[in-house]
Amino acid sequence: MPEAPPSPIMLAPPRARRQGLPPLVLFAVGWLGLMLGVALLANVVSPYAYTALDLRNRLSPPIGFGGTTAHWLGTDELGRDVLSRLIHSIRMSLLIAFGATLIGAVVGTTLGLLAAQFRGLVEQAVLALVDFSASLPFLILALAVLAFFGNSLTLFVCLLGLHAWERYARIARGLAISAGAQGYAAAVRQLGASAWRVQLRHVLPNIASTLIVSMTLAFPEIILLESGLSFLGLGVQPPATSLGSMVGYGREYLSRAPWILLSPAAVIVLTTLSVSALGDWLRDRLDPSLD
Amino acid sequence: MSEAPLLEARGLLRRYGMRRGLLGRPVEVRAVDGVSLSLHRGRTLGLVGESGCGKSTTGRLVLGLEPSDGGGVAWEGRPMPPPGTPAWRALRARMQMVFQDPLGALDRRLPIGAQVAEPLAIHGLPGSRDRVAELLRDVGLRPDQAARYPHELSGGQRQRAVLARALATAPALLVCDEPISALDVSIQAQVMNLLTELQARHGMAMLFISHDLRAVRQVSHRVAVMYLGRIVEAGKPDAVLQDPAHPYARALVSAIPHPGRRQARILLPGDPPNPADRPAGCAFHPRCPMAVALCAREAPALKPRPGDGRLVACHLAQGDATLPKAA
Amino acid sequence: MLRFLASRLLRALLTIGMVVTFAFVVLRLSGDPAQIIMGSEAPPEAVAAFRASWGLDQPLWVQYLRYFLAILEGDLGRSMRDGRPALDLVVERIPATLALTLPALLIKLGLGIPAGVTAALHRNSAIDRAVMLLAVAGFTMPSFVLGLLLVLVFAVQLGWLPSGGQEGWRHAILPVVTLGIGGAAALARFTRSAMLEVLGQPYIRTASAKGVPWRAVVSRHALPNAAIPTVTIIGFMVGSLIAGAVVVESVFSWPGVGRLLVVAVANRDLAVVQAILLLVAATMVTANVLVDLLYGALDPRLRAAPKGVR
Repeated sequence: MPEAPPSPIMLAPPRARRQGLPPLVLFAVGWLGLMLGVALLANVVSPYAYTALDLRNRLSPPIGFGGTTAHWLGTDELGRDVLSRLIHSIRMSLLIAFGATLIGAVVGTTLGLLAAQFRGLVEQAVLALVDFSASLPFLILALAVLAFFGNSLTLFVCLLGLHAWERYARIARGLAISAGAQGYAAAVRQLGASAWRVQLRHVLPNIASTLIVSMTLAFPEIILLESGLSFLGLGVQPPATSLGSMVGYGREYLSRAPWILLSPAAVIVLTTLSVSALGDWLRDRLDPSLD
Repeated sequence: MSEAPLLEARGLLRRYGMRRGLLGRPVEVRAVDGVSLSLHRGRTLGLVGESGCGKSTTGRLVLGLEPSDGGGVAWEGRPMPPPGTPAWRALRARMQMVFQDPLGALDRRLPIGAQVAEPLAIHGLPGSRDRVAELLRDVGLRPDQAARYPHELSGGQRQRAVLARALATAPALLVCDEPISALDVSIQAQVMNLLTELQARHGMAMLFISHDLRAVRQVSHRVAVMYLGRIVEAGKPDAVLQDPAHPYARALVSAIPHPGRRQARILLPGDPPNPADRPAGCAFHPRCPMAVALCAREAPALKPRPGDGRLVACHLAQGDATLPKAA
Repeated sequence: MLRFLASRLLRALLTIGMVVTFAFVVLRLSGDPAQIIMGSEAPPEAVAAFRASWGLDQPLWVQYLRYFLAILEGDLGRSMRDGRPALDLVVERIPATLALTLPALLIKLGLGIPAGVTAALHRNSAIDRAVMLLAVAGFTMPSFVLGLLLVLVFAVQLGWLPSGGQEGWRHAILPVVTLGIGGAAALARFTRSAMLEVLGQPYIRTASAKGVPWRAVVSRHALPNAAIPTVTIIGFMVGSLIAGAVVVESVFSWPGVGRLLVVAVANRDLAVVQAILLLVAATMVTANVLVDLLYGALDPRLRAAPKGVR
């Protein structure tokens, strides 16, 4: 069944392809570079510790709105520096999104290749699991697991990792089966190669570009999920902070200090936008067959 | 031929289930229906027939790539192990295949050299750079082409690379499945010559599968003509081509364009053969210009013809039935 | 067709069965229910008595069977907070959620599909670009950010609308708009690409080349074919009518199923979570079956192809 996948976001007309990077992609690359740099150098670039209190400067507005240069983006209700918290939140959210995307890709691809390799019962089991994942909105499933198991960062990352696994499984299975039916995989098998050799050395490298494109499409979805769950107070738990949890806690001060939630909200929107744009552009270039 | 055959196939059978329409009853299709053949060291058997006659399936059955639904294959007198088993995989070093589409048979992401070295790695043989270079030279490629990717080579060069990979483990049997039909005509002859040359040098047995009678004649020591999953005639290439005994073989031969000889081409009436709808009796009788009543009733067996001993499956050729006078 | 229907229903039942099994497994993995409910300080005899009374001393498969049977009878356990049947708690919240999701669905369909079709028909025009820009913004903006922005503008700054609660229809406006805009963006994008794909097909070119008026080409050939993939995503939206507003209900303190779920998860009220899980799965699976049947009606080719094989 055609699932409801993240459909293409048509940003730039395909014509722009030959004339270097389209402006949106350039912006996306720049923004993501900035985010990566910030995440890697979080401890160096943040002006304060993200938990440090400045009780004399509580709810201080950002610079330009009556704030001081001591706190460029203002402070929250406990006088914690919003910029420092933002920087650490970026690190946390990116870390979770990277980890979860990788887990999803590895789990999904492995199951898909297994299904293609063994067919029969294994394949039926994987397909049943795919059906199962498709039958529940992932947010509900994630909430249920969090309710049953409580919350820890490891569990949270693994859980989000299951978000798009069925997509990779479907892609890997389909491509591996078509590769095995004719062509290079069959040729290598008749050379006497073991199943693992065929799958890992030949099939996997051949389908890697498709999988990588799927990863760039799943990445923003995971950021949105993470921030949504953290916003609900069910994701990243204090004292740790993420973009979503900053918005969630800042919500209490929406009328008095909107800057607490506006800056992380803007980062979420810009980051998902950038990754989506980059993913679409990559898909157009690498793999026109993927939808 | 006194020497024991390298590979002997007896009564190979391959059935496929096919469903017609949504609620159709499954129909059994016999792609290969009782084919027997033997392959000898240093000799080539040519297998000819139209597309869909089961010749490629026969090649796969002979190699044990698919299990036979009946009969069996013996390799050096011992039965072929089931596909996928370690014994089967080890045996791959001894028998190799060359494919119709060399680009499809090569991994686009690996340079030629790595792919030629692969069977050596698989079977635990030393795969040095020199060995790869030697293999490439053996098939007429330059050693520096080892670094090339498949799409950087021409069609003929790709087929040479596939050959080099197939020859890496010095196999005793090479099955060539339409090895030249995807190539340009100018390249076809080169590859054919290469095949004969390599056989002369390494002395392996070959099963050469093609729809092209002339190509088969050029490389083969024996030919077998297939029609709808069965061998209908077999013999020495010159004999079969000069004087085909089976009406189908005769039609095939007459279709070869021949400068100088002006002979009427035998046009076969009726539909092309459909394995799912196999006629009773001799499968060829609906299209046969000489069919008699017996042909529709009884399937002729492949047996030596009285006189010269040519193997042919035809009531008329065997003299079991005679052509009515007013034809 | 009958075969198709039967196999589809069988798969649906199998999926529901898997959700039930999932809930059971996760419930057992998450710890000893007796310990969780009685507390860690309960005397061992009391815990043992509790186990016996709930059948927890039975072999696992007996427990599983009982669990399954209980669910078939509609017994989904009791809320650990107020002891009421979990199913009742969930069901009485459904109207509040539907009060948001049904109008939002109308917005999605009424806004998203025409926008997507218009954009596709005027590809690369200013309209197309504007629609796609809005659609991308709608997709990349999480619903809680959009909701809070709306609150900031219309409740805090302008003071036109209430920021939360459920006293009257005015309270529903912001959450409905938040839900509707996000969904409409997704639907517009999806409809546009489905439409573009269809418009590129040879039969469309043939139809217009042989002189069929363009309006007729679009309405008779393009739209029905583009509807096929679009139906899937609409089915998904219908399936999530009950659970599609988790985040938005939280933003606007709207007492619906989603709010109940978040509170239940925070309190680890397992019976309620599980009841919602099963209810949502049942809704989704039903919607999926309907979508597949609709597919069969729209595209005769799909009736023959089994779902898993693509």
